[in-house]
Amino acid sequence: MTFSMKRALAIFQKDYKDLSRNLFVSSTLIMPLFFAVFYSRIGDGGVDITYFVINITFSLVAIFVQCALIAEEKEKNTLRGLMLSPASTLDILLGKSALTFVTTMILIVASSFLMDYAPQNLAVIALALIVSTFFYIGIGTMFGLMTKTVMEASLIVMLPFFFFSFSPMLLPLQDRFAIIGVLEYLPNVLLIDVAHQVDDGANFGAVGLELGLLTAWALAAFVGSVVMYNRKQTD
Amino acid sequence: MEPIIQVNGLKKLFGNEEALHDVTFTVGKGEVFGFLGPSGSGKTTTIKILTSQLAQTAGDATVFGVPVADLKQEQYRKRIGVLTDNSGLYTRLSIEENLSLYCDLYNEPKTRIDEVLNMVNLSGERKKRIDKLSRGMLQRVTLARSLLHEPELLFLDEPTSALDPVNSRHIYKGIERLKANGTTIFLTTHDMQEAEELCDRVAFLHQGSIQLLDAPNVLRRKYATGSMRVELNNGQTHEVTQTDEGADWLHKQMRAKNIASIHSNEPTLGDIFIEVTGRKLS
Repeated sequence: MTFSMKRALAIFQKDYKDLSRNLFVSSTLIMPLFFAVFYSRIGDGGVDITYFVINITFSLVAIFVQCALIAEEKEKNTLRGLMLSPASTLDILLGKSALTFVTTMILIVASSFLMDYAPQNLAVIALALIVSTFFYIGIGTMFGLMTKTVMEASLIVMLPFFFFSFSPMLLPLQDRFAIIGVLEYLPNVLLIDVAHQVDDGANFGAVGLELGLLTAWALAAFVGSVVMYNRKQTD
Repeated sequence: MEPIIQVNGLKKLFGNEEALHDVTFTVGKGEVFGFLGPSGSGKTTTIKILTSQLAQTAGDATVFGVPVADLKQEQYRKRIGVLTDNSGLYTRLSIEENLSLYCDLYNEPKTRIDEVLNMVNLSGERKKRIDKLSRGMLQRVTLARSLLHEPELLFLDEPTSALDPVNSRHIYKGIERLKANGTTIFLTTHDMQEAEELCDRVAFLHQGSIQLLDAPNVLRRKYATGSMRVELNNGQTHEVTQTDEGADWLHKQMRAKNIASIHSNEPTLGDIFIEVTGRKLS
């Protein structure tokens, strides 16, 4: 699989211009900041509340924006134009993910700043957040490829939004329902776990397993989106 | 003539419905090949198969000697241009921004934008947003985009559908220029006039099968009745056949200077299509 930085960058620049003129999608970007301001006013909710907002940012930006960008390309038949060009699968998928990645990172940093979140070990948290972003972008890409219109994407994206934003709230029920323990291996819960451990002074070595699992989730989402994209190349 | 497209026994099923049945043809280098048929006859399905957007159920299809399934590789994408009836342009971006993206994707210099916009007579409109364009302009931008990388083979799917005659004329001129430069063109249309004007050879597609395939002038000769319509100065019209009686009558009228006009009854491609398939093209 070949990769051309020039092509990926061209797709990124196109997406940037397009998104800046797309009120429907770009207005969504304000939501995480709204949540951050709201919860920071309530008081110090600690790591759990901070990561509730961060997980919402992943759902609203990394999943929804990515899903909407891909779905619109399908709706307007522009994805077919990209597929028929010499751009490779990697050029297109990375080019289409770049804007979502940058936007998600900016909004997470801004939300953390608004919530006065200062992790003990910035490098570990930064790595965990970057790997998580790749995972959520992969999910957004797959949902975008599954749908045919932006409207359809807006509806279907509610599923991962609620799942990844609110599933950590079920963890206290783990004592009564053992099955809920499975949630501990989900990327959103793993991220919160890493944040708690870092808060208690953990370094890279201490959270190696959690970071490894997050990376595995990100790789699985990437492979899934490549497979689904390649399938969509042929009707 | 070196074959660019070779199709042999192509078949496509959608469920139980047969969209293409035993389609066989060859398109030579530099040829303008018309694929004619009414809506739903299988024209777009054929283009989708030949551009690897759709897999065939049976049969062989090669482009540049390569099976169509392998055309997804970069070196072949660069040699092919596709204009579909669905524009595929970014509506919130300008003409220039759309073409600039494709310059980068095809690794072409940005100076190509001026060249292709000149070709389709849109050089003064480059800053206009796509969602502000008329249908005719949109179609011309789509053509410009498919020409950016100077493809050796160009697929044009109904390039003038729903265009007025003036805009159609712009597209025709662009196609004639490409033909003069040696571009191989695979054109689908249900406009017989367009096919007569542009194509070196045409195939009539009906219900997924090719009914006839030849050069337009050969088909017209083959289906000509040899009769002519003569209009006299007094307003009367006469059908004259190529017989001794017909020749005598025509000679007599000419000597008497009675003839206002003579029209050959050569069939159009549309007439031939109706005769062969028993239905109109629409």
